[in-house]
Amino acid sequence: MAKSKKGYFGRFGGTFAPETLMPALREADEAFGRFRTEAHWQAEYRRLLESYCGRPTALYEAVNLSRRLTDGRARIFFKREDLNHTGAHKITNALGQALLARFMGKERLIAETGAGQHGVATATAAALLGMDCDIFMGTVDMERQKPNVFRMHLLGARVIPVDSGGKTLKDAVNEAMRDWTRTVANTHYAFGSALGPHPFPMIVREFQSVIGKECRAQIKKAAGRLPDEVIACVGGGSNAIGIFSAFVKDKGVKLTGVEAGGEGLRGTKHAVRLTMSPHTKPGILHGAYSYVLQDKAGQIADTHSVSAGLDYSGVGPEHAHLFESGRAGYTYATDKEAVAAFKILCETEGIIPALESSHAIAYIIKQAPKLVDGSVVVVNLSGRGDKDIDSVAKFMGNIF
Amino acid sequence: MSMARYQNVFDNLKKRGEAAFIPFAIAGDPNPDAFIDVVTAYVKGGADVLEIGYPFSDPVADGPVNQRASQRAIRAGFDHHTFFTLIKKVRMFTDIPIGLLAYANTINHLGSDTFCKKAASVGIDSILVADMPPEESHELGKSMRKYGIGRVFIVSEFTPDERMRYICGFIDSFIYVVSRPGTTGVDATLSTSVKTTLARLKKITDKPAAVGFGISTPEHVREVARAGADGIIVGSALVTEIEKSAQRGVSPYNILKKKVNLLKAETILK
Repeated sequence: MAKSKKGYFGRFGGTFAPETLMPALREADEAFGRFRTEAHWQAEYRRLLESYCGRPTALYEAVNLSRRLTDGRARIFFKREDLNHTGAHKITNALGQALLARFMGKERLIAETGAGQHGVATATAAALLGMDCDIFMGTVDMERQKPNVFRMHLLGARVIPVDSGGKTLKDAVNEAMRDWTRTVANTHYAFGSALGPHPFPMIVREFQSVIGKECRAQIKKAAGRLPDEVIACVGGGSNAIGIFSAFVKDKGVKLTGVEAGGEGLRGTKHAVRLTMSPHTKPGILHGAYSYVLQDKAGQIADTHSVSAGLDYSGVGPEHAHLFESGRAGYTYATDKEAVAAFKILCETEGIIPALESSHAIAYIIKQAPKLVDGSVVVVNLSGRGDKDIDSVAKFMGNIF
Repeated sequence: MSMARYQNVFDNLKKRGEAAFIPFAIAGDPNPDAFIDVVTAYVKGGADVLEIGYPFSDPVADGPVNQRASQRAIRAGFDHHTFFTLIKKVRMFTDIPIGLLAYANTINHLGSDTFCKKAASVGIDSILVADMPPEESHELGKSMRKYGIGRVFIVSEFTPDERMRYICGFIDSFIYVVSRPGTTGVDATLSTSVKTTLARLKKITDKPAAVGFGISTPEHVREVARAGADGIIVGSALVTEIEKSAQRGVSPYNILKKKVNLLKAETILK
């Protein structure tokens, strides 16, 4: 693979797509270039982010949590993406891509969804902009995220059940890509994460970079300086790349991505791609060269996580690059740790976090004893956890 | 070697006024032994070229029939060793060209050079990677040339003339024309766009063009042959028979041989 050519992050990324999609990918790339410079469309995007999504989202100092974990020695901030309309950072990208689709003259949006947050966000954007919308969702995820399935129906989208493979996010992406090869003429595929063939990892990063931009200004104001560490959960990696992007050049800011450790690394019931394990290896999944969980014959492995949004075999190619270049560090939290973190945040701060975001919180709970006095850390609270209460109740019933 | 094999077949058929009939199967479907029966039936039925798919867990360019075929092969315990052993066995009883259809992760998993070296040694003549456009094929292309394996790429009705020219520049065996957008699968009627796509392509290149996706009946085969295709690829319509036989626990040999025979007859225009 050639290095750092167009569509690459270091040696990762690229455009590994069926030929039938190549003209559409080129069209999206070219259109996005123009979309970014069109003042009218940019103004409309900003207007919607402010008055519809509720941006900028707050930066909140979690004083109770910091007292409980560090006796107040460290300052822990949350970037409150859970306060966005529809309850997660996903709407920021979905609205951007819906506008981009309109800009390209496309009438239909399709998307994959795992936890249902991106599906809800896309269905919302489609309702707002008067577009047709089909959401692909694995039947396992439909079962564990029922409220979001109903939400999508209410918003006028069709939810197409995907019953192949592990019946989760990976399989939903397969089916959305298959649909797109038939329908590219009038359809835009709004990838929900910083995944897929070029230009999607770049487009999603650009739309989500507002998280980092806001956060950088907010933390400077609140703490008087840049943070020591920025932490985010990583499924495909869109909330993480969104917040990291503003700090990548600040070498003093440690960037930490937290993956889904599931039932631990001993077996295959996890979704840890960027911590060395016998099952992870650079490979090609859904259009990009990145780290991919796979078996010894090169078949893509099924994954497991209590959180549907992190339950994915691949990871955004820019994360693979940040990992290999050493600019960001990656670790994991298990199902058990994430659920414990979920509970702690509910009790200490009165915030019900998404199970995805709970992985990032689990990391800070583990790290707390090591934090030096006066350190400043930011955790991206990527979404709210109302959608997860059934999963958590079930999990606690099984464990406790 | 390999390019010569294709050229001979396409040249000879052209002289006789025939198009190449190219049946497709997933390697190891429904299990390694039965797959050998499948290919034997194809060859005895009159196949001019074979197109073999490497089973993959996430085949985004394939419809449900071929996805299920991949799943059957994987469940039966498929790995790289199984694949190369099977092709080697096929090569022992036929000299017709063997094309491989794979996904990029499979080749990357073994490494381009190792993969191509092994592929050439068991007698594979061409490789088409469903999710690797020419832009991403630099490394693989080098290995393929090194080991004398022909390169195949896809064009469709969505491919503009300029891109067709670009793609044809990479091809040294045949061009895979998809009859319609979407994934592989059986259609009741043939897409009308295939004729226009073929006509556009023929103005750009004189390299052989094989048409696939959605071709299932003798009528379809005849129509595509008449439209000037040099080869006609039938996959899902045959793979469906493999599936049915596997479900009933019988050999697909007779039905496949009969079907291939019937479809091959329609490629003879004179």
